[in-house]
Amino acid sequence: MSRERKRKLITSVLSILFAATVLLNFFNYEVPTFLWALDGIVLFGLLSYYIITQKLVTYMVKRSLEAAVVLVIIATMTFLLLRIIPGGPFDQEKALPPEVIANIEAKYQLNEPVYMQYYYYISGLLRGDLGESYKYVGRSVTDILAETLPNSIQLGFYALLISFLIGIPTGVIAASKHNTWIDNLSMTLAISGVSLPSFLVAAIFILVFCFSLNWLPPALWEGPEYYILPIVVLGIRPAAVIARLTRSSVLEVISSDYIRTARAKGLSERSILFKHVLKNSLIPVLTFSGPLIAGILSGSFIIEMIFAVPGMGKHLIQSVSNRDYPLVLGVTLIFSVLLVLSNLVVDLLYSFFDPRINLS
Amino acid sequence: MLKVLITFLLALSFLACTKKDKQSGSNEYGLKNSETLRIVVDREPPSLDWSIATDTESALITNNLMEGLVAYNLKDPELSLQPALALKWTSSENAKKWTFKLRRGVKWSDGVEFTAQQIVDSWVRLLSPLTASEYAYFLFGIKNAKEFNKGTIKDSKQLGIKVSPQGDIQVELESSMSYFPYLLTHSSTFPIRLDLIKKHGVNKWTEAGNHVGLGPFNLKVWEHDKVIILERNERYYGEKAKVKNVLGYIVGEKSTALNLFDNGQVDAVKDLPKSELRFLAKKKEFIKESMLGIFYLGFNVKKAPFDNVLVRKAFIHAIDRNEIVKVLGAGEVPLKGWVPQGMFGHNNNVGLAFDVAKAKKYLNEAGFTDLTKFPKIEIGFNTNENHQRVIENVQAQLKRNLGISVDLKNEEWKVYLNTLKSNAPHMFRMGWVADYPDPDNFLNLMTSYSDNNHTGWGDTQYDHYIEEAVSVADKSVRKLIYQKAQKILLEKGASVFPTYSMVQTHMVSQRVKNFPVNAVYQFLFKDVELEKAK
Repeated sequence: MSRERKRKLITSVLSILFAATVLLNFFNYEVPTFLWALDGIVLFGLLSYYIITQKLVTYMVKRSLEAAVVLVIIATMTFLLLRIIPGGPFDQEKALPPEVIANIEAKYQLNEPVYMQYYYYISGLLRGDLGESYKYVGRSVTDILAETLPNSIQLGFYALLISFLIGIPTGVIAASKHNTWIDNLSMTLAISGVSLPSFLVAAIFILVFCFSLNWLPPALWEGPEYYILPIVVLGIRPAAVIARLTRSSVLEVISSDYIRTARAKGLSERSILFKHVLKNSLIPVLTFSGPLIAGILSGSFIIEMIFAVPGMGKHLIQSVSNRDYPLVLGVTLIFSVLLVLSNLVVDLLYSFFDPRINLS
Repeated sequence: MLKVLITFLLALSFLACTKKDKQSGSNEYGLKNSETLRIVVDREPPSLDWSIATDTESALITNNLMEGLVAYNLKDPELSLQPALALKWTSSENAKKWTFKLRRGVKWSDGVEFTAQQIVDSWVRLLSPLTASEYAYFLFGIKNAKEFNKGTIKDSKQLGIKVSPQGDIQVELESSMSYFPYLLTHSSTFPIRLDLIKKHGVNKWTEAGNHVGLGPFNLKVWEHDKVIILERNERYYGEKAKVKNVLGYIVGEKSTALNLFDNGQVDAVKDLPKSELRFLAKKKEFIKESMLGIFYLGFNVKKAPFDNVLVRKAFIHAIDRNEIVKVLGAGEVPLKGWVPQGMFGHNNNVGLAFDVAKAKKYLNEAGFTDLTKFPKIEIGFNTNENHQRVIENVQAQLKRNLGISVDLKNEEWKVYLNTLKSNAPHMFRMGWVADYPDPDNFLNLMTSYSDNNHTGWGDTQYDHYIEEAVSVADKSVRKLIYQKAQKILLEKGASVFPTYSMVQTHMVSQRVKNFPVNAVYQFLFKDVELEKAK
């Protein structure tokens, strides 16, 4: 078997593996643990292989240390900011007697000096203990995250998937048909996608697909038919941004010298577009993807509220109004970890897509 | 290769689509719609541990899973009490000692017998400083309870709670309290099983599967942030629940809940958004009920010009409550007295009425002859669409009726609470919803020593009346005392402007019969019946 065929075979097997996971998950089947494990091992393996062959081990160590420092700074800042803003976690309409307040403060160690509270928090964090929510009494922050984050990730993952699947081809097509009606139409759509607020899009979609056509349920998170609307609404804006980025980037690359060379060699327009232009055009899209991935995976407050998705997004907002210190810190840290990780992956992908970028 | 991939994916999709041959008429949880009341729970219940929970959604669930010694007779407009786990109760002459005779042979949903000790355990747990319960103060009327909660008394045996040899509960109070049994309708006083807390741990005993109760329903499923399912408790001592299941979807957004209602996925949505009332009130599913709660504006009497009672009176006379109620449009009831509609002691003949001429006269007497030179006034409120509509209307009325411009300042809820405590604005918005249906709960609010009195106003005669009234058992005598107290608060002191008595509005599907709406906001689903689909 030739090298090329081997590569193709491996790619296909892996694609089937991932597609199976995605589809089983989407259609609400129990995804077997071995499949999750296999996915994890393959992804991790690919990543490690890439890191080792590209001699990026020192780079990764350096970046991980940097990330740790960033996370500690974020945890500290959040901790301090929460103590600075007026209003405490147990302030409420009906004032409590001093005895009762004293007991609550003692229970949560809020009666101790701030530096001691900080010490307890950081030492808990090092033990992997994010503490207990003040609002949801008896539930640990870890439990809350473990119950809600998977739903946010599920929603976010599909939204990302469709935004890339729609955004990149639209951008490429628009660029290759530059200044034609196709280009104009797709860019008009893209601009609408960027500028329409998601709650408006959600309202329109609910009106059309639930109440006029009666195809889909208006909310809840119970199965595939429930997933479609929130995923599409969440995916529209990033899809539009990606389409615009891809288009301008493709246009720029198309007019570069090496493409002219390729054309001069007599390569077909199609092979130029897919083999030479696309890969290099994806750099700006990648830059945008880092924060996008973190933002979308950690849950969108508006989408989760409108479609009653039991995700983490609402805790991002509500924990702050509740002054639920441990939960605020928990969701902030999760968001930061996602952000740091996705930026790291994006940086690795830079060097993959554009060998001129040398990370080591 | 691509072909293989596509075939595979198509096969998988096909398989997935055929997976669910959902029985029509049942939902994702396999519950038949004809046997299931489907409601919207407005947020994830923070805790189903009734010693800890303080919010309405937790209470909604717990009140269907548990019962206390006494319960409201919800059919009585005066909200009298009826027996629940206690068959009858008696008090000493001065309402200082109470005895509750318990029902025998009642079993928890796991078959364990209900005993008096479980009541004692619950009250001791509620009061224990280690539990750190916010509602511990509910039982502060019991002898030594406050000291026990403070930690100065360590031995729970010194509390005024005893089990008599006959197995009755005997309670000794610090001082007379005619409404004491009313406190026992509250979920925080329900009996508790320490053995279960020990077995499952303090954080896990309220989860589905571990939770055990005495009420008409059992907790079947609790998927956090998503859904709660209650199932009829066949061991319930009273008449069994008519509906087999109650399914509560946890949906935080009202418009989403209404979408689900319109789509036939839920049977009831509570507390409708005010902005949509005009539209919703026309539908046949709309229901409205009074609620024991008031909305009021307070004056900071420590801040000029409201340190002058004449100015406060002038402002009260200058605002027309009817206009505010019209702006809100849910059918709120204008309130001149301090006790909400639907509670004994409610009286709209006390207090100051809308009268612009009087308002101008008082301002003149106070020395404000040129109103263009009136000092700058600020009205504070917490950020909320409805409050904003009320406060903006007040602003417009003051401008129109007195020619006085006032500034508005809204703050996020917790920041606002902090502002009220530390430096309340000239005028501020606040509300109060009854903990128990007794005027004391409202009038106590304005005593000079109340932590909830943000006005800075106090009157010893007023305080005296309030203390006197709780020791009187005769309702008509109490009514008179409360009348006098309200006169001091609203006419002499004029430190608050009671605005309106609250109402609750809901949408309930036509297939639901006996949906429980009542002034005490208790949603007990055991009597709900579902009409068979035609």
